[in-house]
Amino acid sequence: MRTSRAEHVIRNLAAVLAVAFFLLPIVWLFSTSFKLQRDTFQLPPLWLGFEPTWNNFAFAINQIRVGQFVLNSVVISAGTTLASVVLGTLGGYAVARSRLRLMSASSYFFLVLLMIPPVAMLVPFYLIMRDLGLLGTYLAVIILDTVYNAPFVVWMMSNYFRSVSTEMEQAALVDGASHFQAFAQVALPLALPGLIASVLYCVIFSWNDFIFALLLTSPSTKTVPLAIMGQFSTAQLQWGYMAALSVFAVLPMLLLALALNRYFVQGLTAGATKG
Amino acid sequence: MLAPVLIFVLAIALAPLIFSFSISLTDYRLTDPTQAKPFVGLGNYIKAFQDKAVLETLWNTVVFTIGAVTSQVVLGMALALLMAGETPFMRALRSVAILPLALPPLVVGLVWKALYNPQFGPVAYYLKQIGLSVDRGLLGDFNTAMAAVLLIDLWQWTPLLMIIFLAGIKSLPGEMLEAAYVDGANRLQAFFFVMLPMLLPVLFIGVLLRTMNAFKVFDIIFATTGGGPGNATSVLNFHIYKVGLTFFDMGYAAALANILLFMIGVCSAFYILLLRRQRAAESL
Repeated sequence: MRTSRAEHVIRNLAAVLAVAFFLLPIVWLFSTSFKLQRDTFQLPPLWLGFEPTWNNFAFAINQIRVGQFVLNSVVISAGTTLASVVLGTLGGYAVARSRLRLMSASSYFFLVLLMIPPVAMLVPFYLIMRDLGLLGTYLAVIILDTVYNAPFVVWMMSNYFRSVSTEMEQAALVDGASHFQAFAQVALPLALPGLIASVLYCVIFSWNDFIFALLLTSPSTKTVPLAIMGQFSTAQLQWGYMAALSVFAVLPMLLLALALNRYFVQGLTAGATKG
Repeated sequence: MLAPVLIFVLAIALAPLIFSFSISLTDYRLTDPTQAKPFVGLGNYIKAFQDKAVLETLWNTVVFTIGAVTSQVVLGMALALLMAGETPFMRALRSVAILPLALPPLVVGLVWKALYNPQFGPVAYYLKQIGLSVDRGLLGDFNTAMAAVLLIDLWQWTPLLMIIFLAGIKSLPGEMLEAAYVDGANRLQAFFFVMLPMLLPVLFIGVLLRTMNAFKVFDIIFATTGGGPGNATSVLNFHIYKVGLTFFDMGYAAALANILLFMIGVCSAFYILLLRRQRAAESL
């Protein structure tokens, strides 16, 4: 069915409006981070015509010392991503290639794990970490983040491995490669897009996590979202400071999403779409 | 090769859950200086079903989950159909439209809280311009708070559904649609009778992922309403957090968490059953 010129215009217009809806709150956040306190309260809202200032960023860096929080966030999300992707990719491969019915059905089991409400885990996990003396360490947050991210990787990677052809792996096995060699040297390179998608989701989820870090970190291991919340609870709330701090949490993820945007669906839909 | 992840997950996830079950049978309060944990059997569970706040938050959980999943699936599908074009302009728009899903939900909540603010928030301001007055703000009014929170969730997660559905649409064989049009189907018919049945697998994945996360919503409620006004936006997940980790009534919180877990278990069993039937139908 051919589309007319008029339809083409209407389509583009509607798409621009939809994208504006998704973009404006982000624009508001960035513009507020460059506003003086008096401009944040202006009505009608000042979207562009204001005198920009670096004060909010200077405050975030010098007074709140956001650098330490960024470092904590990096350590926790790197640790979680590494652990989740290694465990999850191995598990996903095993699930995808197993001929045992029980094994291939276990990808459902990993999905069910994802549905465990965080609070159901947090209450007992908090008590266990307290008794082990790990409360307030990076490790406590990384372990719990990995419990949620590794099963997701198992599920995504098992979908992805199922969608790639096994012929080359079988050829490698016939030539005398071990199962691990077939996995590492043949299957894994073919599954690279799924692997990138897994890393992408693990980084985003662990970087953005709030509830686990809220209860398991100490003042010296706090992550950026906690610093933002801390600023939010102060008596004299300055939206400019809050926005500048948020930029430190938001900007790395936005850049990552823009750079890797074509990988978001890899592994999610690998089993459900043909081709 | 499954062993490492299985052992890790079982050890770390199941141990707390078993521990949680044993706590739920006691009256365990962290604030109790004697740290006695008297055994109360199923007392906490019985108490839960007589607790008005629990029943309210349970209802809110159902409303939030169904509201979020339905609205986002419909809008996500509409956007996927709208933006499926392969022009460079559309492609650029798509890569911008997915940005919300990369943001920390906490920040998303705080940003929207500011946008909704009745004194200086742009949303309130523009609503006033078109003649709608919101004196307590959309989040502060008992009647609109849940809808306002649902809109935030919709803003953040609709793009994920859009790209999942887009992947499905892109993989459809073009000939089937052509054939439908040749046979005189209009667009609506072609969508409902030709495309939608073929899109069921991606639709299913979208609904599954969103249901799982909507059940667990926490950050945006923590950041915006704190469950209020009254209990209007308090979902069970948030209520358990309050009982366990701000009131330190661990036994009761554990019992509530187990009830939520049971609900989620039933839902997921239902989903998995559906998925298996669908897979079986496909392989015929």
